Formats: sequence, structure tokens, C-alpha cells
Amino acid sequence: MAHSTHDAKQRSRSGQGGRRARSQPKGRQVDPAALAEVQALLGERPRRRDLLIEHLHLIQDRHHCLSAAHLAALAHEMKLALTEVYEVATFYAHFDVVCEGEAPPAPVTIRVCDSLSCELFGADRLLAELTSKYAEGRKVRVVRAPCMGACDRAPVSAVGHDQVMRATVPRVAAAIAASHDGPALKPATDYAAYIAAGGYKLLRDGLDGRRTRDDLIKAVDDAGLRGLGGAGFPTGRKWQLVRKEAAPRLMTVNADEGEPGTFKDRHYLETDPHRFLEGMLIAAWVVEAGDVYIYLRDEYPAIRHMLLAEIAEIEAAGLARDTRVHLRRGAGAYICGEESAMIESIEGKRGLPRHRPPYVAQVGLFGRPTLVQNVETLFWVRDIAERGAAWFAGHGRRGRKGLRSFSVSGRVKDPGVKLAPAGITMRELIDEYCGGMADGQSFKGYLPGGASGGILPASMGDLPLDFGTLEPHGCFVGSHAVVILSDKDDMKAVALNLIRFFEDESCGQCTPCRVGTEKAAKLMAGGRWDQALLDDLGRVMTDASICGLGQAAYNPVRSVFKYFREDLA
Amino acid sequence: MAYGFDRSRFAENKRAVLDKNLGPLVKTIMTRCIHCTRCIRFATEIAGVEELGATGRGEHMEVGTYVEKALSSELSGNIIDICPVGALTSKPYAFVARPWELRKTESIDVMDAVGSNIRVDARGTEVLRVLPRLSEEINEEWIADKSRFACDGLQRQRLDRPYVRRDGKLKPASWSDAFAAIAARLKGVAGDRIAAIVGDLACAESMVALKDLMAALGAPHVDCRQDGAKLAASPRASYLFNTTIAGIERADACLLVGTNPRWEAPIVNARLRKRWLVGGFRAGVIGPQVNLTYKAEYLGAGPQTLAELSAGRLPFADLLRKAERPLLIVGQGALARSDGAAVLGLARRTAVELGLVKDGWNGFNVLHTAAARVGGLDLGLVPGVGGRDVRGILDGATSGDIDVVYLLGADEIDTSRLGRAFVIYQGHHGDAGAQRADVILPGAAYTEKNATYVNTEGRVQRTRLAVFAPGDAREDWKILRALSDALGRRLPYDSLGQVRSRLAAVNAVFAKPDIVVPAAWGEFGAAGAVDAMPFKSPVANFYMTDPISRASVTMAKCTASFVASGTGKTGTHG
Ligand SMILES: Cc1cc2nc3c(=O)[nH]c(=O)nc-3n(C[C@H](O)[C@H](O)[C@H](O)COP(=O)(O)O)c2cc1C
Ligand code: SF4
Ligand code: SF4
Repeated sequence: MAHSTHDAKQRSRSGQGGRRARSQPKGRQVDPAALAEVQALLGERPRRRDLLIEHLHLIQDRHHCLSAAHLAALAHEMKLALTEVYEVATFYAHFDVVCEGEAPPAPVTIRVCDSLSCELFGADRLLAELTSKYAEGRKVRVVRAPCMGACDRAPVSAVGHDQVMRATVPRVAAAIAASHDGPALKPATDYAAYIAAGGYKLLRDGLDGRRTRDDLIKAVDDAGLRGLGGAGFPTGRKWQLVRKEAAPRLMTVNADEGEPGTFKDRHYLETDPHRFLEGMLIAAWVVEAGDVYIYLRDEYPAIRHMLLAEIAEIEAAGLARDTRVHLRRGAGAYICGEESAMIESIEGKRGLPRHRPPYVAQVGLFGRPTLVQNVETLFWVRDIAERGAAWFAGHGRRGRKGLRSFSVSGRVKDPGVKLAPAGITMRELIDEYCGGMADGQSFKGYLPGGASGGILPASMGDLPLDFGTLEPHGCFVGSHAVVILSDKDDMKAVALNLIRFFEDESCGQCTPCRVGTEKAAKLMAGGRWDQALLDDLGRVMTDASICGLGQAAYNPVRSVFKYFREDLA
Repeated sequence: MAYGFDRSRFAENKRAVLDKNLGPLVKTIMTRCIHCTRCIRFATEIAGVEELGATGRGEHMEVGTYVEKALSSELSGNIIDICPVGALTSKPYAFVARPWELRKTESIDVMDAVGSNIRVDARGTEVLRVLPRLSEEINEEWIADKSRFACDGLQRQRLDRPYVRRDGKLKPASWSDAFAAIAARLKGVAGDRIAAIVGDLACAESMVALKDLMAALGAPHVDCRQDGAKLAASPRASYLFNTTIAGIERADACLLVGTNPRWEAPIVNARLRKRWLVGGFRAGVIGPQVNLTYKAEYLGAGPQTLAELSAGRLPFADLLRKAERPLLIVGQGALARSDGAAVLGLARRTAVELGLVKDGWNGFNVLHTAAARVGGLDLGLVPGVGGRDVRGILDGATSGDIDVVYLLGADEIDTSRLGRAFVIYQGHHGDAGAQRADVILPGAAYTEKNATYVNTEGRVQRTRLAVFAPGDAREDWKILRALSDALGRRLPYDSLGQVRSRLAAVNAVFAKPDIVVPAAWGEFGAAGAVDAMPFKSPVANFYMTDPISRASVTMAKCTASFVASGTGKTGTHG
């Protein structure tokens, strides 16, 4: 039976009654040239709504902006209301919506990371220098951008999305001159090497019935593997919870890695992607998810191209036979790392966190029960299953169990991703893993868990670092992104940098966070901090925000009041 | 200080947001917006138009249509009521009055046949705004834009004194002059040369008085169906929306025949959409193909499709048969045509054959567009024995067989076909009927009288006087009562109470206001051939359907932005 949705309101006057009204989205006329361009760009790709962001990327990549004509054409082509397209396009920082009558942006965009680690290494100056260098001319524009996940090589800048590490004005200029596609990424361990070292045997064992799902669940449970995206939820328990829900179930991988200071997922993806992919396919097999969506942040284009190739390899090898793997591209929104916002974004919408309950394990992607797992969490699955739970749990100090990947940046000699036992202290981490403090810097304090985890003073550098150990002090380890600060650093400036990050990245859905971050930043920038007023505001934000962003945004400020009073003077 | 600090702690500059252009009805002051998204959710969920949205992120978030354009919904005014902070306000009402200056009168809307419950806010002699009243059975908490915004039409083109045509020109006159002119003309005219046509906004009180007067004059030619709809005055179930509006929510399938409810009764359409959103509800359309804001299967354009359906030859017939509570809605577009009686018969047959009428469920519905219509049918304002219907009356006037035509607010007829007849126009606006009239008797609009209307469900409801009619205008039943005196055929009622007793005597439903009495099923409609002409909706422009909305400046603006312009808000430019 043919269905025809009546898409257009009849406006014809009497006498024209029988004519079929145009079935097209409301709004302005579609420019035929723009429509042809959009159709050519989309090619055979399905016009499903959840692909909206992917399609917007196609247009942005080609034209360096989203013009009103293209958006109208895309809305037409996808049979969406124009407003829906605008809502989504304007939410994400990597889309440049250009209204009628506005000039399009310059074809080359230089992004200068202004998050904490880069600021410590002179991002401010770099931004000023680049801005003045390119003030004239229409070819290049310079904008600030949040953390790009290379904090150990600060300051970081990006030409388009190709990153320039330890950026200086000449290096950025050189990058502009060079090709626009950055060097192709070749993982240290590619498919062949991974297979040669016994890779995907575990997955095959599972698929062929030589290992049971319960067996795998028990292994990660016994190992004490916890969610390494930040929340630390026990992984085995999560798998069981999702398995309990009705089929069909789905899985999403959180590769959004937006927490300032965090770059461990990037490290593992770049060096050993198949260990993660195997863990992912095993998890999908355990919860019997037919579709897996990897949500990769847009700041990692090289990883995206590499993953596409490597996923093609495993599909060709028949390793993903029960699982369709989809690689989705973020578009510059930290909040899309929050699992329910990520799910909204995969559905092609604005990344607004959802209210819970229901939890995403019950009602997640496309309304189905969904397993959400961080990249690194999955990375450990194979090793745990093969080497045994005891191997993983055997690491740890002070009674804590397991291995943790610390993304270390800031004032140490040797920053980078440090695989260390859970429960290690900050001092141990600096001395044993990072070659001590950088020359001429003395340890003053540290961020134990990225922008949200609060700030601790050097005097508390002997606390064991793990999920649950820092909460009594108003802090948490989260994604284990540590930034080490020295006597050269002003804690007020640090906290202001962090709160500004939250102000930029708040999704705007709830007032305490949307207005609170903005007001706090204003009050803090104003010089003397009024503790009563700020704490009042912070309490409202913490108590009344929908998601972790708003709830944690005040942590660094509270820490400064608590631990760095001398900096307040 | 005992009761707290007397100054705000908020010393910083507040955020300012650019206002948006949402068209002629809704004014925006977006700096006030708190991003609650109620308006967005209303537009997308209840009105079914995805045009409002939130753009930008965090503090940069703004609510609007993004592309500057008006909101293409017949229910858009409701976002004014639901905005908690006054970011969205009524454009026509902006800075007109303060709420405490207003007299608030609970009343009933007559801009369509839904009978939405409204509150009329007036200051002095002027109605300044109309707001919805909660009525779960009818309009819930919404009203259509015409109901809300056409009230400025009550101030314009009003008939505020009697007129008599002298030497070809309408001249102001006194009531007694006007009555004398009528009496003079009627003298010696036989009853069957006198006719009356009732318009769409007439109240039951005036209709019963007109009926009684015509009977006293011995005139059988009376018709309340000025659009020529082939509905009979009985059985009552044949012209009612039997399922009731709230009953739509219990239905699981729906067939629309010759109607565009979105324009004919936006409130009914919103109920259909509400039901559809819940799921497990399929709709089919025979007639105009329009965006109803919910999914509807297009079955065909005209009566043939209905014939095939009733014979079970379309898959949708099966769907209706299998449905537990299917309903059918026949619009005036299917009935106001020469084969209307046959179409009505066909619709009845469809209802019977496909199981739409059964124990505890009557899925046969007529959707009216005129507030007066059901009341007129309930009172039997249809041609008596040997009487002519509207078309016959106009034929008679053209040919000279009818000498006198009484128009009770009838403006939707072809006045050029009134020939040389002596035309008496009783009504409140200087519209088509008044222009042709030989005598004008100024009446009261729905906000100016305590009057009874029966909605499409058959629900008897009463308006209340909110302001007095302008100038010499009078309540309509009183005019007829006075005229009957002048004609020497005095009607036997002197008070509203007595008129209402008379109403109840003519039809007992008038004794039971506000409830729907289920109507008994029966035989109706005609057998016979239907023709091939497609059904079309009687409403060509939602914003202007009656003398009040046609006089409204606001509705004229809406017509300009939404209907007249080729590329208005719906993009159906083609
Ligand atoms: C504001 C916010 C940002 C987040 N960002 C990320 C992120 O970038 N990557 C990530 O893996 N988890 C992030 N999370 C945590 C996820 O919500 C979720 O807990 C995690 O992806 C679950 O996977 P796991 O159990 O393997 O850690 C974020 C949470 C919040 C509240
Ligand atoms: S807390 Fe902030 S980021 Fe989270 S939902 Fe609320 S406004 Fe959005
Ligand atoms: S209803 Fe009013 S306050 Fe709420 S989002 Fe809409 S305009 Fe803003």
C-alpha cells in the first residue's frame, strides 16, 4: 500500500483543488545549483536523518563553510525541516554556518588550542602572534579551540584539522604551505603485525564457540576492569546489565576524548588500533550488538582515515561477520563525550545530554539498549582474557587494582601517556615515570582528572590515585588526565582557564550550567574573587545541572578556595 | 534588614539577544527567553510544524526560526500562552492594555464549528483580546489563530444603525423607519414569495425567532445551509460529529472525506495529530491532498474513491473493517455540491458496511465549518413543504418568483443572484449581504450577546455578553421580535428566558447545555449517482472565512504573509 505523507499545506484557491501539492519541506526556495552540488556530494549515501552530521561534514569539507543555500538544499534532500538542519549545524564548533549576506570564512582556518596545558606553554602568545600575522588578507583566519589531545607536545595548533605540535609561528606557516592532507597515519602495529602476534584469536574463539560469553564477563569482572572514560563503572557489570535488556541491542564506542589533558585514547588508537578493535568486537559479541558505532572526535582526522582502512581489513577477514561497524565523526563539541549526548549526536542531533533514568543501557541509541564503552576500556579486554584476570588485577599499589593510563602534561620533564599501577601517587608518577619536574620548576599542585577533576596541592601529592580515593577531597581521577603545575603557575589563572572551557562547551540545555559557567567566568575575571558569591553559584551548578559537565564545572574553583588561598591575595 | 537585601546581587550586564520575526501574530522579545523550549515543543509536537528551533550552543543558544520567516501554523498563537516569561507575546495586543484594566468574560468561539471555550477580554466597548479556556472535551487549552486574533475585526465595518435604501442609496434610518419600510414592502406579498437565508454566525435565539416569524408569514422558503450542503434536519446523527472531539483519542483509524481539517477546524486536526502521535492510528484521505501534520494515506480525490471503498475494493477498507474504533469525517466539501446527498448516502453506507457504527461507538462524523449550522438544523431551518433551499431561493429571486429575501447574517451567498428581490439584511458587519440590502437591521456579534450555539458535536453552549453592541445595534432575537410587532405578527416571547424555553420546545437538546447527547442512528442520504468532480475544501483561506475575520486587519496581514504571497511560509509555491 503506497503511503504518501502530505508534506505541503494546500494553499491553492478554489478551482485548483485537485492538484498535488508540492511535497517539500517548508521554508525558502531551494537553489537548483546548490541542490545539484549537495546531491553530487551525497552521491548514493542514504538520506537517513542520523547521517545529518556526516552530510554536513561533506559540505563543510568541500566548501569550508555551510551556506544558507546548501543548508536549504540539504534539508530538501533529506526531507528535514530547515530548522532541524540549522539547529544541528549551529551546535557544533567545526561547522561554519554562513547566513545570507554574510561573508564566508577564509578558506584556511588556524586553530590554536587554548586549554590549560597549551596555555602553560604560551598558547596566548601564539594566538596573538598568529592573529596579527594573518590579520590582513582573506586567506587565513585564526581562532581559538579547545584541547586537541596532544597536551604532551604543547602548544598545539591545527591548520584545518592537521595538528602542528610544539607550534610556533614559523611552524604553522610551514604547515599552511605544505599539503592540506596531513601525513597518512601508519599504526605501529598494523593488521598484519597484530595477526602475526596472535591477534583476533580470542575473538575467533568466541565467535566459534570456544569461549563463552560468561567466561569473558567473568574475566573482566575478576580483573576489576572499570570504565576508563571517566566514570569508572565496572565493565563486567555493565555488560551484564546490557545483556539483560531485550534485543536488538546496540553498542557505541566513545572515542570523543574531549576532556582537556586527556590523550591516552589517541595514543592507543595510533599505536595499536587492533587491540582496541578486537576488544570492541568481543564486547559487541558478548552483548550481542549487531551494530557498533564508533564516535571519533573530529580533531583526529588521521586516526579516522587509518581506522577506516583497518576496519575494512577486519571486515574483509570476516572478523566482523555478526557486527556492522560504523565510524561516526564528531564535529567539535566536548559535551558529545558524555554518553547520552554522544548518542544524540550519533542520531544526527544536537548533543544535548539526556535525563536519566532511563539509562542508556536500557534506552540508548535509537531507543535501543546500548553498551557505551570508552576506547581504552576495550583496549584491555584482550590482554585480560589472554593473560588472565589476575595479571591485570595484580598491578596496583596501596591495595588498588589494575593498570591505568595517565595522560601526563604540564611542568614535568617527560610528559606523555604513562601506564602505571592504580593507586600510584602523584609524586611517584612524577619521579618514576616522568623524569621529575621540568628544570627550574617546583611542584605546586596538580589536576588529577582533567578539567573537571578539581586541583590538588603538592602537599597532597601522596594520595593514591584511583577511582574513589580523591572524592573525599573534592576531586576525582576521571579519565586520568593529570596536569602538573609549578610555582610559576597562578592558580587563579588556571581555574579561570578551566571555567572558560566549560563556558564554551556547555550545551546550554540547563540554566545553572549555561548561565553559571558564564557568570562564574565573568566574576572570576573581574579580579578579586568573592567566595560567598562564587560558592553560592557553584552550589547551584553542582546541585542542579543535568549532566556531569555542569556538576563538575565548579570543582577547580572550589579547589582554589580550599587549597590555594595564598594565590587569592 | 529584616526581609533580605533590597538590591539585586546581579551587578553584571545582562545578555541581549536579537529579536526574531515570527510573522504578524507573535512578537518576540528574545532577551527574556530562558530556553525552556516549551514553544519549540509545542510547535513540533502539538502543532506539528518543525519550524521553531534552538540554534547555537551554551550561552550562544537562541530560540527562533533561524531563517526569518513566520510560523506556518494555524495554532501559532498558543506559544504566547505557554511562554513562561513573555519572550513571545501577542503582536496585535502589544502595549494595548494592562490586564487589570480588562473585563474578562467567559464565552464561546464562533470562528468555526468547534465551539472552542474562550475568554473575551474587553475594555470599555472594545474587545482587546481572546484567550483560550481549558476545556478537555473540546479545545483542551488551545485555540486556533483565527479565534484568537480576528477580534480586531469586531471594531471595523460595523453596522451600528439601521439603513434604508432610498433612490438606490443606503441612507441611515431609525429603527421605526426601517421596520416601516419592511412592513410597506411586505404588504400584500404572499407567503411563498418570501424567503430567508441564515448565515454562519447566527445564534439559535435569532434562528428560532426567524423561523417563527417566517412561519407566521406563511413562508416555507427557509434555509440555514447557505453553502448548499445537502444535509437534512434529521436524523440528528446524520449531521453531527458523533464520535465527539475527545472521542478521537479512542479511535484507531480515520477516514477523511472531502475535508481539510487543518483549515476547517484546526482544533480537531490537533486532536487527530495527538491521537496519531500515540501510535496505532492510521488515517486515509479522500479529497484535498494537504499537509495535515500527521501521516495520512492518500486514497483518491473524489466520490468514486469513496464508492470503491464502501464496496470494499480498496485495501484501506480492510483496515477500517479490522479497526476496533474506526471513524470517518465528512467535510462540507463533500456535501455542498449537487451530488451531496448521494455522497452523504455513500458515506453512510461506508460507515455501515465497514463497521464504523456499532454498539457503544459511532464513528460517523460530519465536520461543520459554520458555528450556526448545527443549531439551525436542530431547529429545522430547512425548507418546509413546497419550500425552496438556498439555490432555489436564489433561482426564484433571479426569475422574479421570490419578492423578499431575509438574510440573517448570510454573506457567503452569490448576492448577484438576488435579482430584483427586496433584501433585508440583519447582521453586524457591512459585508456582502449588507451591500446588496434594501434595509439593514444592525445586530450584535457573538461577543455582544448572551447567545446559544451548537457545535459540530451537537454540544449546546452559550456565549456571554462581553461588550455592548455598537450604536443602535441590538441583540438579534429582539430585532426579530420587534419586527414581528411592526408586521402585526407578534412573536410570543419577551425575554431571553422565554426565547430559550421556545428553543427547548422546538428541540429538547437546547435544554441540556454543555453536554453531548448521543444521537440515534437512522436512515439518511440518498442513493444515486455521484459525479467525478474532486472534493475540495470549502476553506480557501483559513484567515478569512466570515464577516468578522474579513474585517480584521490582523487576519488581512496573515492572508498577505501566508496565503496570498506565492512563496509564503509553507513553500507550496507551485
Ligand atoms: C561532560 C562529560 C564528558 C565526557 N567525555 C568523555 C569522553 O570524551 N570520552 C569518554 O570515553 N568518556 C567521556 N565521558 C564519560 C562517558 O559519559 C561514559 O561514562 C563513558 O564513555 C562510558 O565508557 P566506559 O565505561 O568505558 O568509561 C564524559 C562524561 C561527561 C559527563
Ligand atoms: S550540565 Fe551543562 S552540558 Fe550538561 S546538560 Fe546541562 S547545560 Fe548541558
Ligand atoms: S517558550 Fe519562551 S522562554 Fe521558553 S524557549 Fe520559547 S521563547 Fe524561550
